[in-house]
Amino acid sequence: MAQRAVWLISHESGTPLGGIVKFSRRYPTVEKRAKVFNGASYVPVPEDGPFLKALLFELRLLDDEKDFLESRDSCSHINKTSIYGVPVGGEELWPVVAFLKNGMIYACVPLVEQTLSPRPPLISISGISQGFELLFGVQDFLSSGQKTDSELNTKLSQLSDLLLQTCPFGTLLDANLQNSLDSINSASVTHLQKQPAWKTGTYKGKPQVSISITEKVNSMQYDKQEIADTWQVVGVVTCKCDLEGSMPNVTISLSLPTNGSPLQDILVHPCVTSLDSAILTSSSIDAMDDSAFSGPYKFPLTPPLESFNLCYYTSQVPVPPILGFYQVKEEEVQLKITVNLKLHESVKNSFEFCEAHIPFYNRGPITHVEYKASFGQLEVFREKSLLVWIIGQKFPKSMEISLSGTITFGAKNHEKQPFDQICIGGTAYLKLHFRILDYTLTGCYVDQHSVQVFASGKPKISTYRKLISSDYYIWNSKAPAPVTYGSLLL
Amino acid sequence: MGPLGRETWAQRLGTFRASPSAFMAGPEGEDLGRDLLSDLRSEKLSEPMKVALLALSLEYPDQLWPDAPAAEAAATSLLDTLVLLPPRPSALRRPLLLAATTALAAGGALNPASGASGRLLPLLLGLASGRDLGRSFCPASEQRPLQATAWECLRELESCRPGLLGGCLGLLRALLGREGPAQPLSLLLALALRNALVIQARAGAGLQGLLTAGESSMEGGPWNWMLAEEGEVHLQPQAPSWPAAEEDECGLAALELSPEEARELRATVAQLLDASYLLTPVAQAQLLWLLGWALRGLRGQPPVLFKPQLVRLLGTAQLTLLHAMLALKAAFGEALFTAQDEALLLRRLTLAAQHPALPLPTHLFYLHCLLNFPENWPLGPTGEEAAPLLLGSQLCRGLLPSLLHEPMALLARLHLLCLLCVEDEEKEGKGQDRSPRHYLEELLAGLRQRAALDGGPRALATLCFQASYLVAHCLAGQPVVLIPLTQGLAQLYRARPALAPHFVDLLDHVGPELQEPLRVALRQEVASRPGREEALRWHLQMLASVADGDAQSATLSFLRAAAAHCTDWGLQQALLRVCRALLRAGVGGGLADLLQELARQLEDPDGQDHARLYYILLAHLAGPKLGVALGPSLAAPALASSLVAENQGFAAALMVQEAPAPIRLSVGPRRAEGAVPVLRLQVEVLEPVYSLELRFRVEGQLYAPLGAVHVPCLCPGRPTRPLLLPLQPRRPAPARLAVRALYSTPSGLTCHAHLPPLLVAFADLFLPFPQPPEGAQLDFFEELWDSCLPKGTESRLWCPLGPEGLEALVSRHLEPFVVVAQPPVSYLVAIRLPPDSRLLLRLEAAQADGVPVALRTDDWAVLPLAGDYLRGLSAAG
Repeated sequence: MAQRAVWLISHESGTPLGGIVKFSRRYPTVEKRAKVFNGASYVPVPEDGPFLKALLFELRLLDDEKDFLESRDSCSHINKTSIYGVPVGGEELWPVVAFLKNGMIYACVPLVEQTLSPRPPLISISGISQGFELLFGVQDFLSSGQKTDSELNTKLSQLSDLLLQTCPFGTLLDANLQNSLDSINSASVTHLQKQPAWKTGTYKGKPQVSISITEKVNSMQYDKQEIADTWQVVGVVTCKCDLEGSMPNVTISLSLPTNGSPLQDILVHPCVTSLDSAILTSSSIDAMDDSAFSGPYKFPLTPPLESFNLCYYTSQVPVPPILGFYQVKEEEVQLKITVNLKLHESVKNSFEFCEAHIPFYNRGPITHVEYKASFGQLEVFREKSLLVWIIGQKFPKSMEISLSGTITFGAKNHEKQPFDQICIGGTAYLKLHFRILDYTLTGCYVDQHSVQVFASGKPKISTYRKLISSDYYIWNSKAPAPVTYGSLLL
Repeated sequence: MGPLGRETWAQRLGTFRASPSAFMAGPEGEDLGRDLLSDLRSEKLSEPMKVALLALSLEYPDQLWPDAPAAEAAATSLLDTLVLLPPRPSALRRPLLLAATTALAAGGALNPASGASGRLLPLLLGLASGRDLGRSFCPASEQRPLQATAWECLRELESCRPGLLGGCLGLLRALLGREGPAQPLSLLLALALRNALVIQARAGAGLQGLLTAGESSMEGGPWNWMLAEEGEVHLQPQAPSWPAAEEDECGLAALELSPEEARELRATVAQLLDASYLLTPVAQAQLLWLLGWALRGLRGQPPVLFKPQLVRLLGTAQLTLLHAMLALKAAFGEALFTAQDEALLLRRLTLAAQHPALPLPTHLFYLHCLLNFPENWPLGPTGEEAAPLLLGSQLCRGLLPSLLHEPMALLARLHLLCLLCVEDEEKEGKGQDRSPRHYLEELLAGLRQRAALDGGPRALATLCFQASYLVAHCLAGQPVVLIPLTQGLAQLYRARPALAPHFVDLLDHVGPELQEPLRVALRQEVASRPGREEALRWHLQMLASVADGDAQSATLSFLRAAAAHCTDWGLQQALLRVCRALLRAGVGGGLADLLQELARQLEDPDGQDHARLYYILLAHLAGPKLGVALGPSLAAPALASSLVAENQGFAAALMVQEAPAPIRLSVGPRRAEGAVPVLRLQVEVLEPVYSLELRFRVEGQLYAPLGAVHVPCLCPGRPTRPLLLPLQPRRPAPARLAVRALYSTPSGLTCHAHLPPLLVAFADLFLPFPQPPEGAQLDFFEELWDSCLPKGTESRLWCPLGPEGLEALVSRHLEPFVVVAQPPVSYLVAIRLPPDSRLLLRLEAAQADGVPVALRTDDWAVLPLAGDYLRGLSAAG
């Protein structure tokens, strides 16, 4: 369950080493156990320098890709998880849990309480999931609110103290590092009887509960006979419960209107104390039918102090909010494009913003554009080979808009123009970016009266909703496009 | 040296962290540990600096205090520093406790004889249990954090020394019922309980009231090391709670619990589980692993205790919790999860593996869990990745790969798709046009299209080849998949020959099912090229890997065309590498012409030399030998220079190597017949040899030179026939034969070995006279007898007889030579000794212990030999 060492490495391509170890922590008592447990297969944790080099190589993050290197490029060198064997000093350090996120590599080495040869399956090593949770915790801590480099550096400098608190001996006590920071800062917090470990103090003040539902909709539209368009809604419900008492009980219900789309694949926060089996079993894996459970979805819980994600869900709405088609025809050095977008009548026609990004990959810079848009304006980013069609806050009454144009490109220059591994030949897409406030595509909402709070005082309850686009692609219907297995099952 | 300043320390710490080993090897290394301990008490250093020093000691105690006595001394010093702190709030108490714990545990100093251990343990337990340690120890505001820290220290000590807190189980249980933080206590209790159960099970004992012992058990008095002493022996590689490694390792089944103890145990576990919602999710997961561990295989402890927790856990998105649940599944199987539960768990796992709200590393880990799912009734072999039985293609639909996935996700999902294709094939003939296999083909085609992109990143090419390898590996038995794969790869090569190294690598790794057809396809692909393009070096590299004896003419004409364009050294070498591959494959005629052309035509002298060398080898060496001569050198395969490696290979292959004897020879029982004496050599084969030639040399020229004996092949374990070695004595005398062996090894080297000399005994030369007609024997003998004199000599001697008597002696040694026999009293023996001597014996009037022998020979020199022979007969048995 314990970790032998933890690293944070900033990936800086172009520098001689390719990265810098920003933070590292070793756990010698765990290392001692590793030596005993692993026996002859024990490989010691290396120093930072060699580890950095070996890990970057293993993650393919060193810039030198020119030549074929068997130890990296061999077809049999297959990694299917974020867990690696890192070659150090002629031996292989395994398992190393590592992933790259926003330019930072998070890595740790979990203790394996048995011999490593033969390697036990990852599923049997408890330290793997603990290691992931530690790294996710560190990642959450670093990314929360952090925008500038100096803020990041402040957070990095706090990390050593935080881990002393939440992971003093390599066994993680709480993945929520922010909690520990709060508890260090308020050292005099008096723990009441049976205070949960995930709650570092108690709230004093006006009781209030805030619940916000954010839905993201993704889509792949092809406008083709043999390929079905796909779309999916992914929702997250975020709560902040400012309530007095050590363990107040709250029940939050999500409701759907009569024509709402059932919520599926519901994953809840661990503070939820019980779950209806209908919630547990409603899943997108099954074929939909009319008998699908459509709520209300009740979540009894004991809330932590901080803001938390009560649940995640997915949903299959009957139609995509915006249906479009996109056609690209290549004529010598020019491309002729036609775009049509139609907002579904059931969708709230009031956007915070709505844009269509039309990128052109693997070509030269845009030299000339002629276009005709039925609505909105077009911005041209020549060097990036990108068109942005700004649609604005509202679709016109007809709910349908179109754009056509002719684009001329200059000579291709590999350094400057964007490369894309998907958009080869005629394959091309446009991507929609939009946001609608106070609206969910599923219809999901929180009725303020249905929120039950068992604590002193009547809390103020506020609810929020929004819909955001995410990975909303419309593919050129005149060329092949990447498909998922789902879109082939007509 | 006085205390170092803040700056100095900061700099020192920086240098140390950059490379601890380099720092410790430097001049300051030796003093670091000592300085650190003394400066912790210095008043000049600020608290944050001291915390930094302690942080260092938490990470690198091994470097600071490398042996147990040093660790013990350090822990003592740290405890002293702790006690001496003034009674105001300080940030040092927590790290000091952690540092003392780390020093003892990591330094191997935690034992009953250690004074520091004797101080630390009661201090920790006192702090943890909230006992009054005197107001002087710490201010009230620090008590809670220190209490939690003390629990953690105790847990770490228990982890490093299982059984250490076995005596405290009763106390821990009592405390859990009271106020205070539940998490550290629960985790420590669960760990100590697990360890106690394991240790007691190994000792064959019960819990001996450990759970019910009151709080007083640990108060006052020395620390109870009893369980830890037993546990120490067992801190060895142990199996986790996973079935594959399980079975007897843990052996909790041996634990005999009284009904009372079983009840207490159940109550404790229930108590821990009931309070588990107070723990953070990661700690809950740890608790479940520990309790699963503790109860697995324990009789009379039904795992239903876990059941109330399961529904709550199933719904969460937390990786650790779902993982802990899988551990429980593996540990208890059907006893905890019915078939319906199993199906539900599998569905939750499947949806978690693709849930858009979860990050990629989590998806990948869940996919791994799916393919290693601990099924109640697994069908396949254990330890192999497989799709669980309940995971049908319907469930998997969302888990199939697409080109939009990250490489790792794509490969993981591709593996699943391959497993589905295997199943699909087994079901066969559903007539679906969108079968998983078709989807697989389209996906692979997409990957190849991306890999073919000129100037695209190498990672894309690597991904394509990894996918091809995975498919070839999983679906090796399905030609319906492999045929389009082969064609697709050949097309990919046509589009982007620069991927030749990837192709070579793929050919090296895949099984023959793909390797053979792909080799042919690629060879055709290359040979059909005009041979003068930019990609020539890739074509040559490819050809060196795929060229063999087939389709020689196409290959050779490609090479001939290419030769004109091989203008630089690198290309010429690449060309010659192909020739070399053809040589090894045994290509003859056309290649000789090509090599001769090359020897004339190539501009580079090195290239010319090589071409000439290959030609000479081709002309002079037989096929197998040639293969070996050109094969990779076994002696130094890693040398970078192809020339050196090549020359070493030649040298080894063309020279005769001195080697230890691969066979053992001995002289077997002889048959006295024929015109000349023939040795029958018994062979014992130690290692396989081919084309064995045995050469014999007679010392002292007693015999005519001996011919060599040839054996085509000898293998250990296979019966061998005796080798016949005819002797042509010049004089009838025993001799020593020196023996040498010349042979080929299976790896093709020619070796030479000296064998131990063989001794030819006097009796080995005996031959009988031709049998005289019936009735004339006596006359025949008498005639011989008379003819010996006067040229020869006569002698009489006493031949001792063993208990078996004369008859046995004669039949064993002289039977073939007896001319007249009147058993048991009289034998007349005539022996021919090549080249032209004779030895005649009269054995008559045998007595109990011997027989007088009258002996005549026509050769003086034979007499002493005959005497020795006869006297030695009875001893020879």
